[in-house]
Amino acid sequence: MENGYWLLALIPGLPLVGAAVTAAARNRWGKPALAGTASTMVGLAFLVTVAALVRYLDLGGGALELSLWSWGPAGVGLGLLGDAVSLWFLLVVTGVGLLIHIYASAYMADDPGYGRFFAELNYFIFAMSLLVLADGFLGMLIGWANVGLASYLLIGFWNQRDAAAAASRKAFWVNTAGEVGLILAMAIIWNAFGSLRFADVLPQAGQADPEVLNAIALLLLVGAVAKSAQLPLHVWLPDAMQGPTPVSALIHAATMVTAGVYLAVRAFPLFEAAPVGMTAVAVVGVASALFGAVVAVGQNDIKRVLAFSTMSQVGYMILGAGVGAYSAALFHFMTHAFFKALLFLGAGIVIHHFHGEQDIRRMGGLGRQLPFAYWTFLIGTLALIGVPPLSGFFSKDEIVVALLETGHPWLWALAVAAAGLTAFYMTRLFCLVFTGPAPNAGARGRAAKEAAAARETEAVAYWNPAPGVHPLKAVPVLLLTVLSAVAGLLSVPGLTAVPEEFLGRVLGHYGAVPAAAAAVAPEQAKTLTIAVLLGVAAVAMLLGVRLYGPSRRAAGRPMPLEAALAHGFYFDDLYRAVFVRPLRGLAAYVGQVIDPQVVDGAVNGIARLAGTLAVGLRHLHGGYVRRYALALMAGTAVIVLYFVLL
Amino acid sequence: MPGMAVEGYVVLSALLFVIGLIGVLVRRSPLVMLMSIEVMWGAASLLFLTFARMWAAMDGHVFTFMIVAVGAAEAAVGLALIVLIFRSRHKADVDDVRALRG
Repeated sequence: MENGYWLLALIPGLPLVGAAVTAAARNRWGKPALAGTASTMVGLAFLVTVAALVRYLDLGGGALELSLWSWGPAGVGLGLLGDAVSLWFLLVVTGVGLLIHIYASAYMADDPGYGRFFAELNYFIFAMSLLVLADGFLGMLIGWANVGLASYLLIGFWNQRDAAAAASRKAFWVNTAGEVGLILAMAIIWNAFGSLRFADVLPQAGQADPEVLNAIALLLLVGAVAKSAQLPLHVWLPDAMQGPTPVSALIHAATMVTAGVYLAVRAFPLFEAAPVGMTAVAVVGVASALFGAVVAVGQNDIKRVLAFSTMSQVGYMILGAGVGAYSAALFHFMTHAFFKALLFLGAGIVIHHFHGEQDIRRMGGLGRQLPFAYWTFLIGTLALIGVPPLSGFFSKDEIVVALLETGHPWLWALAVAAAGLTAFYMTRLFCLVFTGPAPNAGARGRAAKEAAAARETEAVAYWNPAPGVHPLKAVPVLLLTVLSAVAGLLSVPGLTAVPEEFLGRVLGHYGAVPAAAAAVAPEQAKTLTIAVLLGVAAVAMLLGVRLYGPSRRAAGRPMPLEAALAHGFYFDDLYRAVFVRPLRGLAAYVGQVIDPQVVDGAVNGIARLAGTLAVGLRHLHGGYVRRYALALMAGTAVIVLYFVLL
Repeated sequence: MPGMAVEGYVVLSALLFVIGLIGVLVRRSPLVMLMSIEVMWGAASLLFLTFARMWAAMDGHVFTFMIVAVGAAEAAVGLALIVLIFRSRHKADVDDVRALRG
């Protein structure tokens, strides 16, 4: 336990300063200065995180702490807590954040809102590091709400477009629904435990009433589900792809959407103590993993495929947290941050290359034109599918193995099915973009321009006619490729177990949840899972290559359930019918009936009443002084008589 | 001075008050109305002094002083108004001054 480790405050503080400076100077400084300032601040935050990590490892046990201030009652305040879990997240947030800042400095080069973009990006890093560093639910909520605002600002970055503005509002509303759950959970926690600090609440989690714990766990889960785009509050994530691609990579793939995983892992004693907590988390996770994978198969926009893939992969992490495999969930968070950020940045290069085209059915043959994008995207795809020895293989398999070890064969089967679908949709995406015939070049330029103008894709805002890849884009992509390839080596079964050992300082080893009697022996579980996963992935990839590979028929083939998949099983339409329409109707009724008739009627009625009274009463004022004197006298006489006679 | 005959003073005071009241109500000259009000002031003061003597207390004297002071102020203001009315109309009849008619 080391108190007053003030360097912790620099991790959110530096990006906040960067946000303020770039926001103030956005119209005065040149683009290199703006991007340089923002990137430097994030880079320094990364270095401070590494310094804090070294200090934390030196401590052996205990955590770095820094209390900033408190309001009145003990347990309500803002403090920073640097332990294994928060430092693990911070490494990714600031590290991947730095790479994406660098990438964006080239990607956004032609955008008139350059300075605003970097100010908002820095502000996001501030909010996200506050979220994971907070030492209690209150500080976490502050970070939670601020990342929501940053997400809103960046999804709607191109705010002249109706689609982007609508998408940002949608994301904000859904996240607000989650925050309501979080705030209610905090109220119950305060009531039950008398504190909001993790250090006070979590160790005594088991002492509360089971019903109360159920309520806390389910309400916390609502918050996690909304932020992490899990079923049924996932609807904002695909629309969030209206934001610039670096934003999709950083916020809507690598970091912010994993805040729900952070919450589920950070508050795991509450979930474990609640009778329905773990089951609910696991069910939400597996349902989202499967749903995201199924829908991703039927999407044709490159970024929406990746968005549903993110939902599916975050579902795996939540699922891992739901069976007690916390370190596996956080390990998958890290590897996913690497390869999904890589895939999004690659998608950005692809979109620029096709002049704003995002429909993968109109792409093809990019492998010969952009070998760099081909190879990096291939590594990312294979890492996501889970091909050994890339990172996704180790992290995803660790979660799936844990499902079997803790005695959840049904969850295991569903997770394996989702893994097969993952292999299929990623193969489809990769083949359609990079292999096969290139679309006609001349027609493509014109068609893409028209399509982009019609559908308001990214080409409207800026234009990058250069055919190569800018070095500032290439370097982050290369680094992420290397990380995606080798990060899995942190946890090779039987050889290394870095995540488990490091995170185990806070979480204990998984297996905290007692394995059911039917659980398979660990060795068997590992062998069986890896064999099945590899087999399923291989079959799915072969099928994908056969259907969508170089020898595919010209257009995308029709597939079963095509319409349902393309519309994400009509969740948007359901919400529109259940929430949006009734609310709009109510608003119209209030605006057109209640306000003019009831509210205005009351106000105008009072005014008319006063006018009528005044017309009657003015006759009392005749202007004759002597009449006033008589009235005065008569009044006095009445009062005197009253007192004399009664 | 306990035991003194107060009836005479009270009756005189009542007479003075009624005279003043009738003067205010029936006369239309503001000057006369002002003088009638002074008579009513006097009636009230007389009653105060009577009962002050009767109970041998100072309260009534104090009130009388107040009445004299306020009455002087009132007369000053009232006379000033009357002078202004005379200047603008060349005659003074309170029934003509009805600018406040509603």
